[in-house]
Amino acid sequence: MSQTYTLQYFAVLREQARCREERVTTSAITPDELYAEVRARHGFTLEANFLRVAVNDEFADWHAPLCDGDHIVFIPPVAGG
Amino acid sequence: MSSSSLATHQAETSPDAGGAFSFRVSDEPIDVPAEQATLSDPGAGGYVAFEGWVRETNEGRRVVRLAYEAYPMLANREGRRILEEARQRFGLKSASCLHRTGLLEIGGLAVWVGVSAAHRGEAFAACRYIIDEVKHRVPVWKQEFYEDGDSGWVNCERCAAAAGPAQSNATSTAANASHGHTHEHDHRHGHSHTHDDGHHHAHAPQTTAPQPAIASRLPDYARQMALPEVGAAGQAKLGAAKVLVIGCGGLGVPVATYLAGAGIGSLTLVDPDILEATNLHRQIAYAAADCGQAKVLLLAARLRALNPSIGLHTHVEAADVALLDALVPRHDVVVDCTDRLSVKFAVNDAAVRHGVPAVLASVHQYEGQVQVVRPGSSCLRCVWPQAPRDGVVGNCAEAGVLGPVPGLIGTWQAFEVLRLLLDLEAPREGVLTVDLLAGQTRFLRAPRATDCPEHALKQTVATDAPLELPSLAAGLARGLCVVDVRDAAEAAANPLSVAHHHLPMAALLQDLQQLPAAENGWLFVCMRGIRSRSVAEACREAGHAAAYSLSGGAPH
Repeated sequence: MSQTYTLQYFAVLREQARCREERVTTSAITPDELYAEVRARHGFTLEANFLRVAVNDEFADWHAPLCDGDHIVFIPPVAGG
Repeated sequence: MSSSSLATHQAETSPDAGGAFSFRVSDEPIDVPAEQATLSDPGAGGYVAFEGWVRETNEGRRVVRLAYEAYPMLANREGRRILEEARQRFGLKSASCLHRTGLLEIGGLAVWVGVSAAHRGEAFAACRYIIDEVKHRVPVWKQEFYEDGDSGWVNCERCAAAAGPAQSNATSTAANASHGHTHEHDHRHGHSHTHDDGHHHAHAPQTTAPQPAIASRLPDYARQMALPEVGAAGQAKLGAAKVLVIGCGGLGVPVATYLAGAGIGSLTLVDPDILEATNLHRQIAYAAADCGQAKVLLLAARLRALNPSIGLHTHVEAADVALLDALVPRHDVVVDCTDRLSVKFAVNDAAVRHGVPAVLASVHQYEGQVQVVRPGSSCLRCVWPQAPRDGVVGNCAEAGVLGPVPGLIGTWQAFEVLRLLLDLEAPREGVLTVDLLAGQTRFLRAPRATDCPEHALKQTVATDAPLELPSLAAGLARGLCVVDVRDAAEAAANPLSVAHHHLPMAALLQDLQQLPAAENGWLFVCMRGIRSRSVAEACREAGHAAAYSLSGGAPH
């Protein structure tokens, strides 16, 4: 069984993915599974524990189950000023 | 006094007023006997003089010395108006006023007023009138140098109400003063405007009328006060507010500039950096010629020119925990505009610890993040429980940035500060993300984390002791310092029977630093135990664990 999500990347993740948004159909059903998958594909340098995930515009737990069609944001803190 | 100054002096003496009527600002010491001699008049039956001296403390801080700066042409013109008003109002024979500029030590003579009149009554009243008006209206700035090495610009009692200086010229004078050119500059102004002054004087007999030309030299807040949510009450809130800006770079420049323009009462700027050429593309308050100078001082000069009516305090140093703990509780909002994650977390932590709202932001290339942290709301650590070390996520130097990106995000921060101070629609809890390339904003909601380490810390402080005590005796048994937080009239009507301090709640909550020193803590007392409970809670939120409230209020 697979679900389709819309993924959005910010900051260094956007740089490394070379895109800000993509649709992914996958068997991953939690954010941590999903991040492991896209991290391997895009070569993300940041580990998940430095990031936050927001599901449908709310910061969420890495282990909360995802639903088909969810909008998922992976976001690192940024430091520039 | 040099001959060129003397020429200026004579040109400023009113030609048609009988006796001497002379006002001037000068960086020369004031020669009191010589000034007094100019006031002698056969028709004068009384002479009154006032001397203003440099005092060693201001608002509780030890002042070592101070420096005055003025825009001489405008100061002299306004000063002469005041003397002319006094002449007409009190029928003076003669009057003279001198205001010092330059560096003065404690005890130094900063301002001198002398008047002569037929009778003592007019002389006393006129002298009082002149010094009060001069302090209120004449554009002179005072820079105080404190014992701890800090310094701050203090506006000489002038509020946004009446007269004000010409901003751009005032800045150029100030800038030159810092290079040691004050003298030359003064004279040039004095000479080049002498004719202009005389002309103005001859055609302005209605000297007590409002001075629209002068009033326009200060920001007029009419356009923001026209908003129904702002109005005079909102403007008064801004005028009473103190905002701490950490970082004077790409974010800090728009933050501080908009806040100065909005009429925030007092701004404190903190940044250890000197201006570099690589800053200029995004830090647009600065000039290429200023590279190598401290940003904080450059920005303060720019803001003083923009709005001479605000107070400015400067710290050319990095914001560490000790500095934040000293500064944050003295402000209404703290704004983080730094480019280091470690400082952002330190600012967040200090804001949570002291119960002061914070507006945090960062940029990365074409993106920005803004988070407003209020007492009780989610904080930076709720969102980022595991803070990466500096360097992991990259700053502007490492990742690159287009100038307008921090400009926009800093402007957003300035708006959030105004929103907080004006009690506009409450900000949401979470992180606003802005992606300028995509033209997208996205608000990510972040409820307060139950396991947030920063909040948990506060929680322990707040809960490990009961907040209320049943009696004054219980407080005295614990060695607590009793503080009556009622208004003066209430306290007088039902005075406490034990030794105590009196600090009304409103004043105390403005600044908890006013709390009297107390080894074992404080017991707050009010009429019914409601206000005292609020004060005790505020103290605990600020980290004072031994703060208690007397249950039920003062005994009747």
